[in-house]
Amino acid sequence: MAAVAAVSLSFNACRPKGAGSAVSGNAAQRTYVPPGQYDEFYTFTSGGFSGQMSVYGLPSGRLFRVIPVFSVDPEKAWGFSEETKPMLMTSHGFVPWDDLHHIESSFTDGMPDGKWMFANSNNTPRLARIDLTTFRTAEIIEIPNTGGNHCSPFTTENSEYVIAATRFSVPPDGPESDVPIDSYKENFKGHISFVSVDKETGEFDIAFQLKTPGLNFDLSSAGKGVSNGWLFISCYNSEQAHTLQEVNSSQNDKDFIMAINWKKAEEYFKAGRGTVQTNVRYAHNKWDEHTHSATSEIKTEVTVLDVADFDDLAYLIPCPKSPHGADVNPTGEYIVGSGKLAALIPVFSFAKLQDAIANKDFEGEKYGGIPVVKYESALHGEVQKPGLGPLHTEFDAKGNAYTSFFVSSEVVKWNVESLEVLDRQPTYYSVGHLMVAGGNSKNPYGKYLVAYNKITKDRFLPTGPELCHSAQLFDISGDKMELLLDFPTIGEPHYAQSIPADMLMDKSLKIYDINANQHPHKTNGEAEARVERDGNIVRVYMTTIRSHLTPDVIEGIQLGDEVYFHVTNIEQDWDMPHGFAIKGANNSELLIMPGETTTLKWVPDRVGIFPFYCTDFCSALHQEMSGYVRVSPKGSNVPITAYTGTK
Amino acid sequence: MKSLHRAILVISGLALLAVIILPIWRIELDAAQYPEGLELLIYSYKLDGHVDIINGLNHYIGMKVLRADDFIEFTVLPYLVGIYGLAFILVGLVGRRRWLYVLFGAFLLFGIVAMVDFWRWLYEYGHDLDPTAPIQVPGMAYQPPLIGFKQLLNFGAFSIPDIGGWIFISCGVLLAYCVYAEWRPLKAKQIS
Amino acid sequence: MKKLLVLLTLGIALYACSQGGKQNNDNNTAVRSAANPEDYDPTRGEGKFDNVDVGEQLDVAMAQEGKVIADLKCASCHKYTDERLVGPGWAGVSEKHRPEWIMNFITNPDPMIDKDPELQAQLEICLVRMPNQNLSDEDARQILEFMRQNDGLK
Repeated sequence: MAAVAAVSLSFNACRPKGAGSAVSGNAAQRTYVPPGQYDEFYTFTSGGFSGQMSVYGLPSGRLFRVIPVFSVDPEKAWGFSEETKPMLMTSHGFVPWDDLHHIESSFTDGMPDGKWMFANSNNTPRLARIDLTTFRTAEIIEIPNTGGNHCSPFTTENSEYVIAATRFSVPPDGPESDVPIDSYKENFKGHISFVSVDKETGEFDIAFQLKTPGLNFDLSSAGKGVSNGWLFISCYNSEQAHTLQEVNSSQNDKDFIMAINWKKAEEYFKAGRGTVQTNVRYAHNKWDEHTHSATSEIKTEVTVLDVADFDDLAYLIPCPKSPHGADVNPTGEYIVGSGKLAALIPVFSFAKLQDAIANKDFEGEKYGGIPVVKYESALHGEVQKPGLGPLHTEFDAKGNAYTSFFVSSEVVKWNVESLEVLDRQPTYYSVGHLMVAGGNSKNPYGKYLVAYNKITKDRFLPTGPELCHSAQLFDISGDKMELLLDFPTIGEPHYAQSIPADMLMDKSLKIYDINANQHPHKTNGEAEARVERDGNIVRVYMTTIRSHLTPDVIEGIQLGDEVYFHVTNIEQDWDMPHGFAIKGANNSELLIMPGETTTLKWVPDRVGIFPFYCTDFCSALHQEMSGYVRVSPKGSNVPITAYTGTK
Repeated sequence: MKSLHRAILVISGLALLAVIILPIWRIELDAAQYPEGLELLIYSYKLDGHVDIINGLNHYIGMKVLRADDFIEFTVLPYLVGIYGLAFILVGLVGRRRWLYVLFGAFLLFGIVAMVDFWRWLYEYGHDLDPTAPIQVPGMAYQPPLIGFKQLLNFGAFSIPDIGGWIFISCGVLLAYCVYAEWRPLKAKQIS
Repeated sequence: MKKLLVLLTLGIALYACSQGGKQNNDNNTAVRSAANPEDYDPTRGEGKFDNVDVGEQLDVAMAQEGKVIADLKCASCHKYTDERLVGPGWAGVSEKHRPEWIMNFITNPDPMIDKDPELQAQLEICLVRMPNQNLSDEDARQILEFMRQNDGLK
């Protein structure tokens, strides 16, 4: 019996030990930012299915702010205040949720310029622009002819355009789109939108769309440096399957990376070679910082160029097994395709691609009218045995690439030129996206890499069936990547962008100038606070300042009235918001920044006295900052009265 | 037969009867995402452990779904083990040396056939892959090791006997000892 | 009496706490203004204005501008009479304080509330620290002119 036990033990000994969670000794020191001191980087992190964008500090991993973008946020009244409701309007009406996938900085000369962050929504296709002085969503535009805007919001070297491309090909918008789903091959089309960005104001405009055969566009990177003027998009489902894609889209050994000469496309567009499609409807929502209000407008025109009509717009490069990431290195010469089911990573050379195009080194058959470059002709080389399930690649400034591997749950560092694997570190667990500070720019800041993990079981205290996703911070300044920190994230982070703190912190807005406030219902000082009735519409012009609301006694409201509280915060001091909430409102609170006017709509449902109060602890007398509304029956003769202190 | 050997046989027989309800073999799977590990437990009459999760993972590589109903063994094996248990007890009670030799031969044969059968199943599941599977690695087969450790893509597969298997092996070892111990004095007698 | 005693003890305890906290703060943050209370000039206040030349005559246009700003940014808390609202009424303020003290205080309230003995006494009465309303130098000068007008200067 003892012999058997000994044998059993020795069997166990032959089993390899797991890597464990090795953290080097001074990791705590390297991520510790003492109280009162600042982080080195702002990191803007996508919230995935939360629909929001969160702002963290690196290296501490501290969460500073969650910026509401595509989902309503009652804390900030986003989608609840009358002013913000138009921001979430679409051609389908008010949409209170979306899946915010990727984010990308605005760039100048291939480097983040700290002006804006762009974000895409994956479900109801839209593109958003976040202002980096106010840390608020400034603009949202809907994308027509598009199924799910996954392949977005990647921008060109000077943010001339932000790209939005469909993940689910669909028939173009319009009445002819009522077709059998199994007619995918003939009727379904891909559309790649080029949304221009105004240099000064940042305003979006869908300049033109490229129409392609039905394909799933996954991710993309614009060329930079030598490849500026080009765009590289990973495409899967070259099988053009319309059902059970899990199996049916995984049959071809190779799908494609589509290389688009966008400067050429722009030329054709400017030369009027596109077709204007007038049966589209898409919303364009803009925030005005002076009126503190949004407007929403439905647009009905878009210019479309069919790539099959031109010889020199688009080329397909075969890429193994359902590519996910298509990432361009800092010099712009190399394009890394990550076939998520492939056991190697192909690296394509821009110079070789150009030669192949010049020499017409194409496969015999075009794909949907688009020439297919021979795989070997565009190939720089393959990284052999890198890991399992490669998804995304980022770069440092020293010629290295960092690829995330979902299946083998690791980050692998390799040399772009030599294709040699240099280091691998496990992630906990199943990394999706990863981000190197500035890793998609011309000159990455390097130093930190963050891996965004889908699975965190056993990494944090358990919280029932639903667990957080996580970020894992690695120091990549040395030869080996070193794990420093685990921290939970909001929603599902798909991508992130780091910007050096000193680029943003000094221009961060502190207050809204009350004198520049052009809200149509602004209350210009307490003397103007009042209540006005117009039929059943009652407007309360209210001010807030430490520590009272004016008026705080309101009478003469009747059942059947629609009451609009237009609350102006007349504070002009940094970090002095006031809140407003009233009992029974089927709505949210308001959180009003200094100098801002915000409106809450309230429809009283019964007679009685309704208290309201400031929700943001503002001063020693915050608890006193409250008031009453009296609601009387319809037709009551209680006169409109409003005052604070003395009548 | 010595009474000690007869007692060993009876006890072994009882232990073998217990094997019917104990896990005989285990295949443990380790991957980064499964820090707690996944295990497949093979009983004489059923599969247990994380069968559903393992089936869920296997479908990516196109492996057939593991279903107890597909194995004729699970209906036969409990009876076979039971018969051997009773045979152990019977031989112990009767105490005839010839019966002991027959039992040893039969038990050895049973062990060998069982292992060959097990290997055959492992081979079949590891190689008979759906050609339309999402993940296809050229030249890759997913046959777990008969015994010991093997890396299969991101999973480390570790195959060892479980408590029932160890009892089974112990019974075999004890049976062999009895045969040897009964046979040695006999041989010594013949020589002298 | 007992109640009062409890309150008093509590008050002292709170005060002691706040003192302790402040010392810690001062030790930790080097950015805090280095000036110590002994350097503080209670007639001038602390801020960028040293000597404000106001002249004998009222600038009526300037005072009018000042009233517009005061109505928006100040009147929520200050009446223009001698009656206290959140803060003290403005009547007599331009006679009680030097022009530079007023302009320093309204443009730089926080540091002055920390140091000025009279402001600290006032805080005990009002309990609310005067907010920084982000007044420009010009705004401050115009408000001062309005205060002078409010005090009867012609």
